[in-house]
Amino acid sequence: MTSQTHAGQTIIDPPEDGQFRNGQATNGSTPSPTTLSLHLTINGQTHALEVEPRVTLLDALRERLHLTGTKKGCDQGQCGACTVHVDGERVLACLTLAAQVEGRSVTTIEGLAGEDGTLNAVQAAFLEQDAFQCGYCTPGQIMSAVACIREGHAGSDEEIREYMAGNLCRCGAYPHIVAAVRQAAQELRS
Amino acid sequence: MTVHDMKHAASDSARLEAVGGRLSRVDGPAKITGKAHYAFEQQLEGLTHAVLVSATIAAGKVIGIDTRAAETAPGVLAVLTPDTIMVLKGASDWLGNPPAQPTYNPLAREVTFSGQHIAAVVAETFEQAVAAAALVKVSYDETPAIVDLSDGTDGIPIEAMTKEWGNAEAAFAAAPVRVCAAYNTPREFQAAMEPHGLIARWQGDELTIWEPSQWVDGMARTYAEWFGVPFENVRLVSPYIGGGFGSKALALAHSAVAAAAAKMLGRPVKLVLNRPQNFTSYGGRAATRQTVAIGADKAGRIQSIVHRGVNETAVDGMWVEPLGSVTAIMYATPNFSSKQNVVRVNTVVPGAKRAPGENPSAFGIECAIDELAYELGIDPLEMRLINYAEQDPQVKKPWSTRQLREAFAAGAEAFGWAKRSPAPHSMRDGRQLVGWGVAAGTYPVRRAYGEAMVKILADGSVEVESSSIDMGQGTYTILAQTAAETLGVPVEQVTVKLGDSLLARAGVTGGSRLAGVMTGAVYKAASQALDELVGLALSDPRSPFHGLQANTLAVKDGRIASPRGEGPELSIAELMGMLGRERIEAKGDTVPAGFTPEQRYNNYTTIAMALPHTEGDYSRHSWCAHFVEVRVDEDFGTVRVSRVVSALDSGRLYNPKLAESQWKGGIIMGIGQALLEEGIVDRRHGRIVNGNFADYMLPTNADIPDIQTISVGIPDPHSSALGGKGVGELGIVGVAPAIANAVFHATGKRVRDLPITLEKLI
Ligand code: FES
Ligand code: FES
Repeated sequence: MTSQTHAGQTIIDPPEDGQFRNGQATNGSTPSPTTLSLHLTINGQTHALEVEPRVTLLDALRERLHLTGTKKGCDQGQCGACTVHVDGERVLACLTLAAQVEGRSVTTIEGLAGEDGTLNAVQAAFLEQDAFQCGYCTPGQIMSAVACIREGHAGSDEEIREYMAGNLCRCGAYPHIVAAVRQAAQELRS
Repeated sequence: MTVHDMKHAASDSARLEAVGGRLSRVDGPAKITGKAHYAFEQQLEGLTHAVLVSATIAAGKVIGIDTRAAETAPGVLAVLTPDTIMVLKGASDWLGNPPAQPTYNPLAREVTFSGQHIAAVVAETFEQAVAAAALVKVSYDETPAIVDLSDGTDGIPIEAMTKEWGNAEAAFAAAPVRVCAAYNTPREFQAAMEPHGLIARWQGDELTIWEPSQWVDGMARTYAEWFGVPFENVRLVSPYIGGGFGSKALALAHSAVAAAAAKMLGRPVKLVLNRPQNFTSYGGRAATRQTVAIGADKAGRIQSIVHRGVNETAVDGMWVEPLGSVTAIMYATPNFSSKQNVVRVNTVVPGAKRAPGENPSAFGIECAIDELAYELGIDPLEMRLINYAEQDPQVKKPWSTRQLREAFAAGAEAFGWAKRSPAPHSMRDGRQLVGWGVAAGTYPVRRAYGEAMVKILADGSVEVESSSIDMGQGTYTILAQTAAETLGVPVEQVTVKLGDSLLARAGVTGGSRLAGVMTGAVYKAASQALDELVGLALSDPRSPFHGLQANTLAVKDGRIASPRGEGPELSIAELMGMLGRERIEAKGDTVPAGFTPEQRYNNYTTIAMALPHTEGDYSRHSWCAHFVEVRVDEDFGTVRVSRVVSALDSGRLYNPKLAESQWKGGIIMGIGQALLEEGIVDRRHGRIVNGNFADYMLPTNADIPDIQTISVGIPDPHSSALGGKGVGELGIVGVAPAIANAVFHATGKRVRDLPITLEKLI
């Protein structure tokens, strides 16, 4: 088992049979190096991280970097609570490995407001329209909404409903989320 | 403990800030910026991670657990099985009944439901624990399971559910017009977006639990009893709750596993249920079946209602979903009979989900009255007015307030009900069949006693403290409004701290009782603090008001002066400085005088002391009427809800902006119940096969139209100190029958079995 360094990453060669289990090759050889050294750019700051290759971006954010604003609702790509931006596009952090975002720019809910605390137009509209109750889906909704507007998918209520449908809200804030996205989209256009 | 400064939330208008004002959520800024740290997001030194191994059979014995591979997997600290986990003491139930068994093992050898916890792996990282848990091999001796209600017997009669007056069977038999049908609701899940989970940490014999909780004090009691430590040794912290809907009021088996593991390892343990485990580790709404028979005269006046219900419960636990609760009170009838059984099936014990009892009960009676309306050719709305109950038909007491007639009128007007074409299958828009339906809902006003601490600090700011919680209903906000109004200070000067068992005690947040209980307690505590401040200002020689010929002072916008305006005027901070006071604090409660410490403890840690809604001279309930438009695709049978207008009577609203959100949330959960949600059980192994967010379908944004809510409530002095009734549960009650009735109007097909999916229509 060898490892090589490539552009700051430790790349682990797969064992002969290509199988890993619990960080150990199943062919009975000695344990392989099980961590990667990553440098992740989150909200404009670079974080050095030693993690196993199987660590998701979501768990890297929440458990390693203590950025718990990004929520884990399902860990299965089914709810949208973990939505973050990678290079400006919305992705599900639970379905993304931390290693996949090296060299890319990640934005989480903690990085959305201005340095001086000025709320993003979407955040302000969520507060004004009461577009949440428990708040657990909210960071994901807001990250999705920012991208939805940027993508040009906030042209009508119909379109907003469709393009925000990947973010579940069990508290049922949907009508107010639509109102908030509509309001923010109008403000950003004007 | 969570502190909110109000800078972002503060409004410029005093009217917004007062009780009844549309103040934005004071916890909102933290929630929209990712700064709100939910319970199990605390960062602790040396935190370990536990992952559960759950049973893959629904009935039988565990005959072997092979832990060898897991134990040697990287990072693993312990593998706990029924044989190796520490045995706990039995804990009393939520009524305060003593435990049935002296000991409690949260890991099972005898399996009574699929998903029951068998083992747990604790490791240094979450990933290591997940991987090692997959290596634990459990062997079983599987026995046949009772999969669902249809396998069961007639069940066990629950005598306490029987409600009877007159001679219902004979009057039904003699009635000139009769309808009788069976209505079913499936197993449903609360499916809060935040999973259940916790962090447990022991320091000596002191236990701190960070866990989302609808009942901080009740859960602390359970932990204390499990581990045999004094109640004061347990601190339960729950600053924000990512949705509960009834599911987060109790300490559960997984909670016990985490706390036991933390004690055994001497390190803090984090255990969060994965999403599928959230469908099997605690009970959702029990599946129910009801028959409703209504006999009426030719004018549509009800002569008799005969109701029989059954709900599933667990093999080793009892849950009664009171199916006759709405049936007995919604309409006036001289003859009535309701009885209920439960059937044991191999499931986790079902639990409370938004409006337990009232929700399925309303589905039965509100569909049945619709069927009676069509039988007689009477408008369904008119039918409800003909049978309007002027008093509580069951206990024969006047309603405290019942704005249901007003709700029907306001909802019908806003919806345009008068333009409805009466015949089924008579309205269409292209290839879509259009149907309009109506149904009513109700929820009792549950009352209890509460306690709050209000502190006026030297800088003039105010702190409100309570162990009650905010899971999105708006507790932080309405308590800030209550304290601000009572004390006469701007709301941004008020800080509210909730969700910590160290704070002034509160009972369960459930049954829509918290707002009424806590606004009353905060009002009382704040009034006491204000009295003390004014008393000192008048009597202390250092005060500029000393010697003034006034017997009271007024505080407005944080400034204190004589009511007539003569004499000095100064800020609370200035006065506190002159008085040389660091703080004035008052603990106020609404507990009856003469309560012993034990009664107080039971008041906060059990539900045994809650006041019946029919206590005294009145019957207290909130009420609502839902008007729904559906569009049914003629070819495919797909149903879309295209319009909802609901008029609701929750009494006085403490904050209409937040109350409307809760009502709409209930209505949306009702749309899910009507059209989407159903726990599907695999008949071979009694396993929930759709235990995830893709297969157990929740409503998405694209499923929900704009929803109009109208408040028709008036202050109800018999229901709470400030005149409010319940909000949170009310909205869902009656939504599913309104949709079923609209589907019948659109298609002429009566679906009595939820959810209304396309195969039932084509
Ligand atoms: S947590 Fe990622 S989609 Fe649900
Ligand atoms: S606000 Fe609670 S899940 Fe959306």
